[in-house]
Amino acid sequence: MKYIRLHIHTASLLACGIALASCSPPVPAERPSAQTTARLEEKAAPSSETRVFFGETHLHTANSSDAVLMGTRLMPEDALRFGSGETVVSNTGIKAKLARPLDFMVVADHAEQIGTGREILTGNPLLTADPTVKRWAEMMKGTPEQSRSAARELISGFSQGKLPPILYDRVITAKLVESVWAQHVATVERYNQPGKFTAFIGYEFTSLVKGNNLHRIVVFRDGVEKFGKTMPFTALDSKDPEDLWKWFANYEQTTGGQVLGIPHNGNLSNGMMFALNDFKGGPLTADYARRRQYWEPLTEIVQAKGESESHPFLSPNDEFANFGKAGWDVGNLDLSATKTNDMFASEYAREALKRGLMLEAKLGINPFKFGMIGAGDIHTGLSTSEENNHLGETFILEPSAERAMRTEKRGSITRFGWQSLAAGLAAVWAKENTREAIFDAMRRREVYATTGTRLQVRLFGGWDFSERDLKGNWVKQGYARGVPMGGDLRPATSKAPSFIISALKDATGANLDRIQIIKGWVDASGQTHERIFNVAWSSPETRKVSKDGRLTAVGDTVDLKTATYSNSIGAVELRTVWRDPEFKPGVRAFYYARVLEIPTPRWPAYDAARYQFALPDGVKAESQERAYTSPIWYSPKVAP
Amino acid sequence: MSLRERLRAALKEPLVHFLLAGLALFLFFAWRGDAVDPESRTITITEQQVERLAASWAQTWQRPPAQDEIDGLIRDYVKEEVYYREGLRMGLDQDDTIIRRRIRSKMEFLASSELENEAPDDATLQALLDKNPQAYAADARYSFDQIYLAAQDGAAAGAAEMLAALNKGADWQKLGDAISLPRSPEAVDRTRIATEFGEDFAASLAGIKPGQWAGPVPSGFGLHLVRMRKVEASAKPKLAEVRQKLENDWRAQTVKDREAKAYQTLLDSYTIRIAKP
Repeated sequence: MKYIRLHIHTASLLACGIALASCSPPVPAERPSAQTTARLEEKAAPSSETRVFFGETHLHTANSSDAVLMGTRLMPEDALRFGSGETVVSNTGIKAKLARPLDFMVVADHAEQIGTGREILTGNPLLTADPTVKRWAEMMKGTPEQSRSAARELISGFSQGKLPPILYDRVITAKLVESVWAQHVATVERYNQPGKFTAFIGYEFTSLVKGNNLHRIVVFRDGVEKFGKTMPFTALDSKDPEDLWKWFANYEQTTGGQVLGIPHNGNLSNGMMFALNDFKGGPLTADYARRRQYWEPLTEIVQAKGESESHPFLSPNDEFANFGKAGWDVGNLDLSATKTNDMFASEYAREALKRGLMLEAKLGINPFKFGMIGAGDIHTGLSTSEENNHLGETFILEPSAERAMRTEKRGSITRFGWQSLAAGLAAVWAKENTREAIFDAMRRREVYATTGTRLQVRLFGGWDFSERDLKGNWVKQGYARGVPMGGDLRPATSKAPSFIISALKDATGANLDRIQIIKGWVDASGQTHERIFNVAWSSPETRKVSKDGRLTAVGDTVDLKTATYSNSIGAVELRTVWRDPEFKPGVRAFYYARVLEIPTPRWPAYDAARYQFALPDGVKAESQERAYTSPIWYSPKVAP
Repeated sequence: MSLRERLRAALKEPLVHFLLAGLALFLFFAWRGDAVDPESRTITITEQQVERLAASWAQTWQRPPAQDEIDGLIRDYVKEEVYYREGLRMGLDQDDTIIRRRIRSKMEFLASSELENEAPDDATLQALLDKNPQAYAADARYSFDQIYLAAQDGAAAGAAEMLAALNKGADWQKLGDAISLPRSPEAVDRTRIATEFGEDFAASLAGIKPGQWAGPVPSGFGLHLVRMRKVEASAKPKLAEVRQKLENDWRAQTVKDREAKAYQTLLDSYTIRIAKP
């Protein structure tokens, strides 16, 4: 044991010795320093023994009030059983079992008045004393459409802060909320099986400003022995994420535990998620940046409600930026306000990463230095992420011949069922499947997002990688001479950084089209830039890059009549070493990989084939699923 | 029939028993208070009630409440009592669909509510384990060498030739196509093999005897020649090793069973007549 600790310590010295400022994680003043040291050691301890674990960090059950009003009856226990591979009967009576169970899961119910929705359902007289709530209780007994209308009223009321007053009365609900939460924690504890299936204690902090989404998933590293009787800090306590971070710091100090927050759906925030001012409208400060970077090391960029990595408006030269935009780039969460072009820049992750560099130049620290994961945000208690096993985002979208064409209207805007994505996944490189190992990997950002498939992607950044490395144990070399995704490039030892990038197809999924490196940087005048490099692709003998940097399309084997595709195109594995041809030592930059699969049918196409109907025009029936890695950052402070 | 007779007859009706029992339970569980006269505007908190409040609090928080916490509990209880009586005054309990549903939910809850604190004994869990040992067995673990062949046209034919060469002593390390899969997995469990190579490949391993090179075995990536080195079969697990999972499964199943049984018992005492149009 002693030997290992010493070894780790040496590694941390090597990695951070020259440029402490850019390498050590920014630690809030309120943190005890002993723990800080421990965390530094953890952070510097990646290992070639890591393997990838796939999980769901964002799942709702009937304990979320919106979910139960929409018709969900499954509870956290059902969710955990399903995720770990047991058979569960869905809310609409479908017997379901995952062919490939998940490795880890966060049942993240809305913590605000958790469990009260079920009390409306069962007619708690304290709540149904309110005529509106009573009406909802009646509607929940009606048709699925009526139930959804009740849910819509609840969501809209919550988004706008205009719920019936009784639902804000935390004295009335205190006992209930306490017992529901205690039960939730106890259930999670019972289902956490270290080494086999990790169940995290967690919840959703549901902050909204007039329908603009500022939600965060909150994940705890700890079991009940440290977590104890902690009650969640919710948006009823404060909508300001800075108050949530204060509470995080307090939690860690009081319990000795660890916690982090994961913002999601910048695409529904109408310009608020990565704004250039704080919640109260003040300017961003170094202190704000330090705390944000520390408490929110990850961002969820793809899930049922669209993709928030990039947008064609921001990245007009990115031919693949249009994934998961239809229906999700027109307004905020409850469609109470429409979207305008000026909002995009502070909603999407790639732009935030670029602006983060700009802010780092100004403040000395980067507030938007985050890794990326995918998740579900499924509201049925059943986490499925693949197109051909899509059980639906909500009760009304559980499998049926009609679900793809169901509509949600608000003013002039209509969202269609088919626009809902079949959820994303979080992929984590960790040594073992435990709360500690997976949480620590999240904290060091050694994670990537997928749109629901299980392709395996590695990314290492260093200064002396070459094609030769690929012939030997390149993973070992990657860790030894470089840093994995989520890290900071070590001090420069050559004229330009080089990257080992590898992608292996999902063992039971589609072949790969290409690997791209997305580089973002900020120039001396403070202007941000991005460039996409195609670095590896299938059939290189026939597919060429044109002068404008575009690569010949991979082709398309999708047969919509049968909802099938063929792996006769694409590659099983793509792997390369890429050196930045435009590197400038004085310029801040980040690099991450995007890996595209060949085109495959989307869930509405599987529905059409199974239920034997024709998809109407305009329905997006196929897509190129993909993975996005966390970035590796370069800061001139580490240049020679 | 006199009123008295009619009342007596009514009291013999199971439906009336059910409703009275339900109402009593509703009063008890929804409010955790004693039945009170809703007309009265005097609220008396007895020592026993305070003790009960404190005991229930202690159960949640795992420690006795401090004085100010007890005061808070009493204030809360009084508030509850006031609301409750006002609710009754408003007639909220009268033939209300929501109250009906509340009673139903509480009755269902009654059938299974004890389960969370109930610990099944060893014999029960052992019986569950014996019934389906496979479901609780640890994965089989395999140690093997594998050579990957990209599944292009004719790869299967090439595989046969290679297999022949291998079994004549060819150096396996020099054969095959490159791929980021482990070439010599060491005591790896079946689940992980299924994750890395796909379910079909993992299933095929069970049929390969240690010693000789075998295959080709298809995976999601192409074909593989496999030399099994060691198989550690999944042993029947001991109760202590899988206790938590057994308990989880027992609890999940028993909740459903008890609810169904409790309902059936009640239902059996009813005569149901349904008029179909």
